[in-house]
Amino acid sequence: MIYKVSYIVNDGSKPGSIKNEQERPVIGDTVHIGVHEFRVVDVYEIMPPRDDFLYLHATVEEVAETEAHA
Amino acid sequence: MEVVTMLKQVDLFRGLDNSQLELVGQITVQEDFNDGDVIFEQGDHAGKMYIVSEGQVEIIVEHSDGQQNPVVFLGTGQIIGEMTLVDEGKRSATVKASGEMTRLYSILNTKFVELCRSNTDIGYMIMRNIAQDMSFKLRHRGFEAKDS
Repeated sequence: MIYKVSYIVNDGSKPGSIKNEQERPVIGDTVHIGVHEFRVVDVYEIMPPRDDFLYLHATVEEVAETEAHA
Repeated sequence: MEVVTMLKQVDLFRGLDNSQLELVGQITVQEDFNDGDVIFEQGDHAGKMYIVSEGQVEIIVEHSDGQQNPVVFLGTGQIIGEMTLVDEGKRSATVKASGEMTRLYSILNTKFVELCRSNTDIGYMIMRNIAQDMSFKLRHRGFEAKDS
């Protein structure tokens, strides 16, 4: 299964991303969008799956720089 | 990665069998970019579309006052520049490579249309998938507007 994911930054402070993932993102996962690191805080399906593709929306929040380097 | 294997992971080509994917593969050209390289600029004449195979690209919209606004990053499996296939207009945004290495596959619009015309099964499925991809991108923008 290929997971096509729409990532949106929760406070709109940075651009989101659309990309394919090999594994379904879950709450707590981290993801890199541009040069920044984000944590997934919500995930749900936005369209019915078709063939090998599953369509997800994920809301993410930025991981604080101090936390990212801890 | 073999081209057909890469194409199988792209939503645009969902529903095509291996022989059809091989025909698509014959008209794709690999292009590699470094961090910050401009792939095309807003307002450019558009002659081809791209598939992101590795890495990510940044989509930037320039407003009439000159302000540049990064709107989204597109990563593996996403398509860029497909709007020009449909409306034959100029580029609606600037696209830059983001990250150490970005690998794209390009397809000339003329070759793409030729393939779709000569093989209408391929043409139908790709045009259907383009419409669904645009719908997905619109939903993404909708979520963005709602959450900001």
